[in-house]
Amino acid sequence: MNKPDIRFPVLPWIIPGILLAAWFAASRTGLVPDYLLPDPIRIAESGVTYIFSPPDSAPYAGRFLTDASASLLRVFLGFSLAVLLGIPLGVISGRIAFCHKLMSTTINSLRAVPGISWLPLALVWFGIGMRTTIFLVAMAAFFPIYINTAAGARSVNPLFYQAGAMMGVGRIRGIFAILLPAAMPQIISGLRLGLGISWAYLVLGELTGVSNGLGAIIMDARMIGRIDMIIVGIIVIAVMGRISDVLLNTSLRLCFKSAKRMT
Amino acid sequence: MKTPLQLIQTGSAAGTKQPALAIDRLSKVFHMEDGYLNVLQDICLTISEGELVCISGPSGCGKTTLLKLIAGFMKPGGGTIRIKGRTVTRPGPDRCVVFQEDALFPWLTVAENIAFGVRQFMGRRQLNNEVDRYLEMVGLGSFGKYLPREISGGMKQRVALARVLILQPQVLLMDEPFGALDAQTREEMQNLLLSLWEKLSHTIIFITHDLSEAVTLADRIIIMTRNPGRIQADITVPLPRPRKKESDAFHRFYRELRSRL
Ligand SMILES: Nc1ncnc2c1ncn2[C@@H]1O[C@H](COP(=O)(O)OP(=O)(O)OP(=O)(O)O)[C@@H](O)[C@H]1O
Ligand SMILES: [Mg+2]
Repeated sequence: MNKPDIRFPVLPWIIPGILLAAWFAASRTGLVPDYLLPDPIRIAESGVTYIFSPPDSAPYAGRFLTDASASLLRVFLGFSLAVLLGIPLGVISGRIAFCHKLMSTTINSLRAVPGISWLPLALVWFGIGMRTTIFLVAMAAFFPIYINTAAGARSVNPLFYQAGAMMGVGRIRGIFAILLPAAMPQIISGLRLGLGISWAYLVLGELTGVSNGLGAIIMDARMIGRIDMIIVGIIVIAVMGRISDVLLNTSLRLCFKSAKRMT
Repeated sequence: MKTPLQLIQTGSAAGTKQPALAIDRLSKVFHMEDGYLNVLQDICLTISEGELVCISGPSGCGKTTLLKLIAGFMKPGGGTIRIKGRTVTRPGPDRCVVFQEDALFPWLTVAENIAFGVRQFMGRRQLNNEVDRYLEMVGLGSFGKYLPREISGGMKQRVALARVLILQPQVLLMDEPFGALDAQTREEMQNLLLSLWEKLSHTIIFITHDLSEAVTLADRIIIMTRNPGRIQADITVPLPRPRKKESDAFHRFYRELRSRL
């Protein structure tokens, strides 16, 4: 079993620490003017106001919960849609060469289209708001999930299927008993990449003028020149992205033996 | 005491008894981009129940292919394979393979690997008992909770053996199962196999490129040739069991076999 490496617990925090110190130095010495990069203390204060202050006591005060839950819901729905399409299609195309040939050209061409160019189309189709964002998130997360699942499914050792067949496991049961666990490491990297991209496209979707959400806050703050709130928004997204990645990883390891034992 | 009638009945039953395995004019061609390869041609082979037969021959002569055809992993080009009179059409738990390579499921523990083929037929208690019994049988009593990557090559092949024995197959197909092991482990495994075979009396087809392994194990040795793969010789091993590798008779037979090939 892979045990987490518990040596050097401070190692991951060295680079953030240095960056923070440099930031302090830059703003305190006046090297970078305040209107480009405010002091970390002010960012922290804005962040605290944003998260903890009672609503309407100041601009942006207490809006965190509404924004975060709106964004979380959009990411969750978009990502789930991508999983529901990406994993079955990936399994099918990875297992059946015919389906792989049928789909690969189409999917690889679509994949080459930068996600941002779907935005105008999505706006026309779905209007501003929830559905556009979900569409963009699902669209972006689908490709890494599909491609990794298909690659994982294709590279399952054929001996495993033969061993399964002699132990009475047919094609359908083989998908659950052999293919999915054997391809689990690749499926997990697909899911994690997909979730990461989901957050990126969430912001893209929310930049278009929805009234709440973390992307909306960033855009709104730029409009009225609150650079501190832009940075607060960025940090919140980074933290939530990281937490969701950890949660995804942990829950997969709890739910699937193969996830725990093979990664 | 048996009455004459019973004797006749058992006698006639034995007379109509189907061989464990009957292969008749079996052939296999692999088609490739630049032509085709006659891997197996005109293979005829009959193996009776409880026999331990070794198949040997140069690399690429089609031993693994023959085994996979018997297992039902692929379709023959021509001819038939019958197990107890029934034609093989697809894989099944009556013909189990211990593979040349490590084919344990890496996401399952040793015990779960062994349980894999029977778990849907048994309750939890019975399953645990069975798995423990087979773990014990292959000498892995306390290793049930280990993952395949945490145990040695010899232990992996013990697990591979246990997970097919638990299915109680009619025919056990073994493809150079000990080929990758060191000399000492290999000898342990040969002894294990022989003692299991004496206890359970399976029909075993055992592929090996090591003639002395074949002489140690086999009732009969089948020698194959390459291009196309054919049976060159079918030799009964006259040595009594248990066989001693150091004995004169063993050496004489081994040398004689060598010189004939
Ligand atoms: N699926 C396949 N498609 C095409 N050719 C194959 C296939 N499987 C095996 N062959 C070829 O058939 C021949 C026989 O292969 P096989 O694996 O049966 O040999 P073998 O006797 O088991 O050899 P070894 O002792 O090295 O294991 C080889 O030349 C091999 O390259
Ligand atoms: Mg082989």
